[in-house]
Amino acid sequence: MQFAIGLLLVLTLACSVGSVINQGQTYEYYAAAYGERAAGAIMALQLDDLFHSVWFILLSAFLCLNLILCNLIRLPSLLDLMKREQDPAGSLGSRGSVSLEGVGDPEGFFHAMGFRSIRTGQGEEGPWLFSVRNLAGLWGAWVCHLGILLLILGFGLGQATMEVYTIYGLPGDSAAIGETGAILSIDSFDVDLREDDTVEQYTAGITVRRPSDGKEESAQISVNHPATLFGMKFFQNSTGWAADIHIKKSGEPLQDQVIYAGDYVPVSDMPDLVVYLNAFYPDYVNSPEGGPMTASSSLNNPAYLYSVYYRGQILGMNALLESEELTIDDYTVTFDNPRNYTLIQIKRDRFTLLALAGGLVVMLGLILAFYLQEARMWAVRGKDGTWTVYGACRKGGVLFGERFLEEGKKHGAAEPPQKQEL
Amino acid sequence: MSADKFLQIENLLFTVVMLLYFASMILYFAFIAARREKLAAVAEILQGLGFVLHTAALVIRGIGAGRLPLTNQYEFATSFAWGLCLVSLVFVLKYRFQVLGAFAAPVIFLIIGYAAMQSRDVHELMPALRSNWLGFHVSTAIIAYGAFGVSFVLGIIFLMREGMKDQSFLDRHVPSREKLDLIGYRSVSLGLLFLTFTILTGAIWAERAWGSYWSWDPKETWSLITWLIYAIYLHLRLRRGWRGRAAAIFAIVGFIAVLFTYVGVNTFLPGVHSYA
Repeated sequence: MQFAIGLLLVLTLACSVGSVINQGQTYEYYAAAYGERAAGAIMALQLDDLFHSVWFILLSAFLCLNLILCNLIRLPSLLDLMKREQDPAGSLGSRGSVSLEGVGDPEGFFHAMGFRSIRTGQGEEGPWLFSVRNLAGLWGAWVCHLGILLLILGFGLGQATMEVYTIYGLPGDSAAIGETGAILSIDSFDVDLREDDTVEQYTAGITVRRPSDGKEESAQISVNHPATLFGMKFFQNSTGWAADIHIKKSGEPLQDQVIYAGDYVPVSDMPDLVVYLNAFYPDYVNSPEGGPMTASSSLNNPAYLYSVYYRGQILGMNALLESEELTIDDYTVTFDNPRNYTLIQIKRDRFTLLALAGGLVVMLGLILAFYLQEARMWAVRGKDGTWTVYGACRKGGVLFGERFLEEGKKHGAAEPPQKQEL
Repeated sequence: MSADKFLQIENLLFTVVMLLYFASMILYFAFIAARREKLAAVAEILQGLGFVLHTAALVIRGIGAGRLPLTNQYEFATSFAWGLCLVSLVFVLKYRFQVLGAFAAPVIFLIIGYAAMQSRDVHELMPALRSNWLGFHVSTAIIAYGAFGVSFVLGIIFLMREGMKDQSFLDRHVPSREKLDLIGYRSVSLGLLFLTFTILTGAIWAERAWGSYWSWDPKETWSLITWLIYAIYLHLRLRRGWRGRAAAIFAIVGFIAVLFTYVGVNTFLPGVHSYA
């Protein structure tokens, strides 16, 4: 128990640290944010990627080991306890945690306390009644531990074996999905806007072909509505702007291709010269601070914020309207035909269902532990014909005792309540 | 009736609800100061009336917005206060524990006061939020937070109870330490069950919306931290000597983690839940 509490405390602390330190940054970032010594410590302790660090994975493994051992050790004693709790002989000799004498209607009392199935028998001191309820509740913590174990296993195995691919493009584009042998084609992509210019939904039509057997499957995917094709799950993940870039040399067409915002295009006959599209503004205006911004999502005044590099050195940066052209020596560059591209995430995680099952088992365990509280009642008839009724509840003794006394009085307990030993 | 009209009515109701909760809190204070049971009875009626109107306000906002009112800071804060009020009323009735309402009233008022400081504008939902899972995820979080709020209040009452002289005024209105500890355990149990459901439904939703059911987003991580703190609370209660005072302190610390998960994460650790 102490080890488990210690592990939970360390995990809590580790998660807190991981949430405070910005994950996945470089040494330079941490040095600027926290100073060089702290940055060194962050990198050395793998706090920059804490949740995937060796020591965090080891902690999780220890937690799994602890859960396995805990459940294995408790299994025989739980089975034994189940047997003992169901055996009237174990209870009849004891006085329980609460009792009432002189009960005239013990069966009604049992029923009122939620004990449905009542066993009867004849002992040395006279007839007896016995009932036990919510025995399944004894398994709550055990089931909960099992669920956590399944959850961690499902998550861990999923992380270790998961295949994730990202493909972006425009309608008509096709691309191979990693090493899966399948090809994804983007058939359509629509951005549904509301009247107030906010986005209602992003929807992509996709087709996946498998050249090995010639099969193909199609689907529509949108945010919150992924599709499963050939065992892979396809998500409409993100979007951005793309446009056509036209490069002429000495007035003659040299190059026409698509450029994505955040991407670059090298000039075909001079690869050291690169045009980078920093951002796209569909409804370009100057912000009050003087910088570029867009007034709406509509293509009212398209503008392209570009940078030009030569051998890695920036030559210039500016915003270009569609009616304008950029001249670099013999080259002229223009942009047009802006449209949204889609970014599709493809994922294959064979252990998602295991993790989900783990989560559901945890829920079941918690319900058993919290809401099915094992309790027993038994009664022995005295020589005067009235019954002495006893009760015991593993959890919730005070509340069980209060209710016991209350219901007992309603069912003819003649004697005043005895002092409880809760 | 137009959507604007519904939202105007909700605005009015919200103000009335705030006043009712405030009046209930003052009357509860007066009950403790003046030691008059009648004041507590009136306070309880005002809190109950506030809860009914609060429910109506949430329903009307839902109709006006055309969706569940659970998607921004204002809506979650007012729902959080509603959840706390609901759980505290249920516990007051179930355990016949009137003073719980007196101690819950200031917390409810503080949370609804926080809601009043947030923007009440209704915005259309971004595509990721347009999911049926939203209702399950956020409504279970409201119950969980409400239950943890009650366990926090019970923890404070437990610690105060320790310092009370026998037969003092409050002593007659506050259950025994054993019963307080047990009711606190019950509220943590309810909270933990619903928090687990919140995390589970959030994971299922995240998998559909973002393609990953767990990505260590700060909100996710702090939900896990809260879960771990209450899991430690449950384990500690199994150890001799840790029931009672230590459990009460842990219930208070746990609720601080809940508040950080709700307000602190959005303020200091923005992630994909930044809108929540």
